[in-house]
Amino acid sequence: MSTIAPQFRLSRFIGSLFDIIFWVLLIFSLAGLPLVFIILFYIKLPVINGQLLTPYLALTWMADPSETIPIIKALIHTTFFHVVAFPGFGFAALIAAATIFVERKFLAKIQLRVGPLYCGKIEGILQLMGDGLKLISKEIIIPAKADKPIFWIGPLLFVGTAGALVSLIPVAPGGWVVANPNVGLLAVFATIGFFPIISVLTAWAANNKWTFIGGLRALHQMIAFEIPLILSLLSIVILTGTLNLSQIVESQQHYWWIVFAPISAIVFFICILAELERIPFDLPEAESEIVAGWLTEFSGMMYGLIQLGTYLKLYAFAGLFTVLFLGGWNGPMVWPPFPADIITHGITIGPITAQIAGLPLFDQNMLNGTLWFVIKTVGVILLILLPRGVFPRIRIDMLLHTGWYKLIGLAFINIFIALGLLYAGVLGPGGLIQ
Amino acid sequence: MVDAVFLALSVLTIGSAIVALEIRSLIYGSIALMITLSGIAGFFLLLDAPFVAMFQLSVYVGSIAVLILFTVMLVRRELIFNKIEDKRRRYAGIGLMLVLMLGIGMIIIGSGMKSMETNSSSVDYKKIGEDFLTYYSPALIVMALVLAASVVGALTLARREDMTNDQRTD
Repeated sequence: MSTIAPQFRLSRFIGSLFDIIFWVLLIFSLAGLPLVFIILFYIKLPVINGQLLTPYLALTWMADPSETIPIIKALIHTTFFHVVAFPGFGFAALIAAATIFVERKFLAKIQLRVGPLYCGKIEGILQLMGDGLKLISKEIIIPAKADKPIFWIGPLLFVGTAGALVSLIPVAPGGWVVANPNVGLLAVFATIGFFPIISVLTAWAANNKWTFIGGLRALHQMIAFEIPLILSLLSIVILTGTLNLSQIVESQQHYWWIVFAPISAIVFFICILAELERIPFDLPEAESEIVAGWLTEFSGMMYGLIQLGTYLKLYAFAGLFTVLFLGGWNGPMVWPPFPADIITHGITIGPITAQIAGLPLFDQNMLNGTLWFVIKTVGVILLILLPRGVFPRIRIDMLLHTGWYKLIGLAFINIFIALGLLYAGVLGPGGLIQ
Repeated sequence: MVDAVFLALSVLTIGSAIVALEIRSLIYGSIALMITLSGIAGFFLLLDAPFVAMFQLSVYVGSIAVLILFTVMLVRRELIFNKIEDKRRRYAGIGLMLVLMLGIGMIIIGSGMKSMETNSSSVDYKKIGEDFLTYYSPALIVMALVLAASVVGALTLARREDMTNDQRTD
């Protein structure tokens, strides 16, 4: 076994840990605490339950759940929480991370391999964490003749744009969406338009032939498939008469739009595969032809960011498919109601009975909606992953032919079907089926 | 708040427009152009017109800027740009711009826009669609014809009769 650090002494290591702790405590108490007080002096603290939210009482609240729960309830309805945790980044990143692992296992099972196995004993469950640690600890290498500003900012912009797409997806009823503009679907189109720019700019900035070829392919492919993508969604807009994604979900209470727009759904699904650069449309990163396409020069956490952005995008598109065609959060009520005796009598543990006010943190509808949304989205994600284990990569002329000829024609067919249903008075506002 | 956003957007838009004109690197110039176009989308958002803003983003940034970027990357610079360094041209250009802006500003101020109500609610995009299909339908038809003609023209230009593809097997 080779030694990584030959001069290593455990006693010195522990001593250095204590050193670090000492300095952190010293600097925090001398500089950090005054800084905290100065900041607290300026920010306006919210009033919850008629009581000012002062951080000096934090320990008191922690000891008393009846004080903590209103604060948590107020917190989960803030924009900050929406953006960072639940319908926004945290939730999406969790699904994205799970997708990365599930993809490897799923493809392995399809192809009769075992997939990740050793890391974490049980079916390689810690593989993802290991990969993440590796990416974080790896050196970031910038090519010598690269255009550094664009090269640095590319992965960040990619993740940011994917996050913008995620923020438009409504997850549960009752306003569980980060941004709910009236022109939500148009905002989706506008956001999708940024991806080819980012990929071609980073590809150009890396100053490498493989990346540039990959970037041009990405540009061709995404532009070619953007038009059928937009056209396939027009039939939904015609049927619902709105561009707001939450209202589109609400219009599917009784039936899903995939029933009336199956061709649109198929076209949209193929376009998703192309926009996500997944097999059979993964020409921009065809690893057997052009190394890794436009990702060739990225290393370390920059590649990690691109990976995160890709899977956030995957979640966002799968969520969009669910929202537009599969009825979003609609589904039969399967979530059990919050036990009523806890609200009335409190929790009894042995001799102690704790009365906790305002306990159901989330209402039943929201939890049920989230459950259905996640089930449907995971199903769509698995459908998106499936072709990777089954299909080969297609040629670029076939890809462009598919995008520019066949899919556009198919998308128009369903637009005419939707118009026919609308004018015949079957669907839409004032139609036979409401 | 709105004033601060307006000022920031103005600085961003005009600044990046100047950068787009003046910078040596064509790629950075096209990026600056994208920022300018996005800034204009921001102005539309401030004007309570998210519909127009989203179309500004998806059409101008998503398509036209990509086209410019594509051209700049693929074509050699000497082939499309013949550079003439001339101080007088620059001043003439700035003067022309000032004259144009003054003229347009006079027209706008004289057109009774000052008496416009600023507190009215934003126009719904459905109303825009209705207007397009009723009162402005001739304009819509003309626009459609122009676009169709340009599509046909582009197809005619791109069509190559003399080229045969030996590699294709299908």
